[in-house]
Amino acid sequence: MRKLLIANRGEIAVRIIRACREMGISPVAVYSDCDRIAPHVRMSDEAYAIGPSAPRESYLRIDKLIDAAKQSGADAVHPGYGFLAENEDFAAAVCDAGLTFIGPTPKAIETMGSKTAARAAAIRAGVPVVPGSGTALDAHVSDAEIAKLAGTIGYPVLVKAVAGGGGKGMRIVESPADLASAVRAARSEAGTAFGDSTVYLERRLVRPRHIEVQLLGDLHGTVLPFVERECSIQRRHQKVVEESPSPVVSPALRASMTSAAAAVAKTVGYTNAGTIEFLLDEDGRFYFLEMNTRLQVEHPITEMVTALDLVQWQIRIARGETLDLDPAALLAPRGHAIECRIYAEDPDNNFLPSPGTIVALRAPNGPGVRDDSAASAGLDVPIFYDPLISKLIAWAGSRPLAIARMRRALDEYLVAGIKTTVPFFTWLLAQPEFVDGRFHTTYLDEILASRNGRPFVEPSEDIEEIAAIAAAIHTVLSVPANGHGNGGNGKAAAGRWKTDARLEGLR
Amino acid sequence: MHYELDIGGRTRRVALTRSGDDFAVTVDGRTHQVQATRIDAQRWSLLVSAPGRSDTPGRRVSHDVTIASDSTGSLTVHVGSTPVTVAVNGRRRWGRKDDGAVAGSGPQRLAAPMPGKVVRVLVAPGETVKARQPLVVVEAMKMENELRAGRDGTVSEIHAREGVSVDAGALLIVIQ
Repeated sequence: MRKLLIANRGEIAVRIIRACREMGISPVAVYSDCDRIAPHVRMSDEAYAIGPSAPRESYLRIDKLIDAAKQSGADAVHPGYGFLAENEDFAAAVCDAGLTFIGPTPKAIETMGSKTAARAAAIRAGVPVVPGSGTALDAHVSDAEIAKLAGTIGYPVLVKAVAGGGGKGMRIVESPADLASAVRAARSEAGTAFGDSTVYLERRLVRPRHIEVQLLGDLHGTVLPFVERECSIQRRHQKVVEESPSPVVSPALRASMTSAAAAVAKTVGYTNAGTIEFLLDEDGRFYFLEMNTRLQVEHPITEMVTALDLVQWQIRIARGETLDLDPAALLAPRGHAIECRIYAEDPDNNFLPSPGTIVALRAPNGPGVRDDSAASAGLDVPIFYDPLISKLIAWAGSRPLAIARMRRALDEYLVAGIKTTVPFFTWLLAQPEFVDGRFHTTYLDEILASRNGRPFVEPSEDIEEIAAIAAAIHTVLSVPANGHGNGGNGKAAAGRWKTDARLEGLR
Repeated sequence: MHYELDIGGRTRRVALTRSGDDFAVTVDGRTHQVQATRIDAQRWSLLVSAPGRSDTPGRRVSHDVTIASDSTGSLTVHVGSTPVTVAVNGRRRWGRKDDGAVAGSGPQRLAAPMPGKVVRVLVAPGETVKARQPLVVVEAMKMENELRAGRDGTVSEIHAREGVSVDAGALLIVIQ
């Protein structure tokens, strides 16, 4: 493998370029109209335009990506995450073009992409799934039958749309009296939203945690699980903070969760990198949730606590190398790592996207800090894509030290010109529940609702006074229209002369 | 030189005099000795002397400051990494007032902050709304985003229609 096309953009494209460089592989970029000068283009050896900025006209165009791969003479394609990373047609098109797809087989992507097929695979592997009706309940199933099913599953029960997602067509039912009306409402909502009113029942776990297990599988039948990631800090079902290891997983629980994850993967003959997601209830029981058949956003925290490079391993597996890693070492984390997903969103305006031009940027660094980013000063955060601007990762010898290090790194992070979620993370990492590791998947939404919109940024009186001083000095020394005269051209010199003349009047 | 600066809803009166990099800056009657060294167009290093006694000099506190103009004509001043919005309303011609979108009187015109699709309209014409009440849900950048009322008022116009794509800046709702 000598040349690799990256079918993605943003920080993950940069991440893959770095792996290529370290392995002596030539990276090839693709870009949409608005990404012409994005970092992944400038850091690559070659770059090919694939169309307009809207994803469906560029980064989601299988034909254009394959054309770019052929034009460049690449022998492999890495999909990153998002876009086409879990699209079996793309994986198949790459293979059909005679190129190596850095990921699982199209068949594995297809199987594990279906919620019901994935659930069946878990059951075959002897891994618990969330208790549920198992079968879909269409409009012909009577209220009485549904009530009987709900009784066996146990309350509270969730009514979920088979075609659902994002909480649509979903109802929580606390007692049998509310079941029939909840089923009617869920069917109607699902019919409107997805054109399919079929629902199913699932037990609602109370305050579960989201724990996931990273896996690597080689082409020779070896599947190795890694120490778990804790991803319970979610805002509206989106992960915002991840850490490894989980503060609540004991070595015994780790042993059973990781072997369960490996068993599910082996059942479907899984290869390359993937992640099994579990829900962990308050009694320490865990249930298979779903499998992600790609590199995860949060893979760096696993890299930090295992000292391995998962992207390089993806490439090594794809070219047929054997996974000759010590399985025990992968389950014995070295220290603790935390990741904050920093978004171009305004936390003080209900986390609305805040696209625009980054005027100034200072990323944190120093001991134990990793900033996986494709943001830079002078560049726009485009409106077309996920507004992630950086994954900030802090590693230290223990969880308390990693939290302290992350807070230090957040203090160093300066982004001017757009709003970011940095102040939100500064607040979150100071919450006693976070510090103590006492949280679950709805914790963040609950605590955010209870704040009633109180601003995350509340500058002290002293800070406001310094801001007043700085604004006054900046304003008096700034010459509108022609910049600030630290160059040697005549205009700037004239600007400075005017400033000085004006300042003479101050004395 | 004198300025009136609006910070956090309060007006501060600032006067300054200069001698090279050294400034005497008086904020609401308190005078600070400041050495201000410019790093680039946006960034400054300030060393601010706290008032000392006559025999011992005061502490000199170091602040890294970054200043950017925002779309409303205000300045965003980052003191360290803490952002503070400052509206310069003094004699300078480019210090302009907020456009009244949030505070004060006059209609509030809620516009789409980014291109997207209107998913839900949560209010009806004539409805009374409270500040921060969600008005419209717009799907953009892969997320559903609630757009909220900036202040109390009555819904006078609704231009948003469910299922319709809108451009950035498209007028969605007017609150009187």
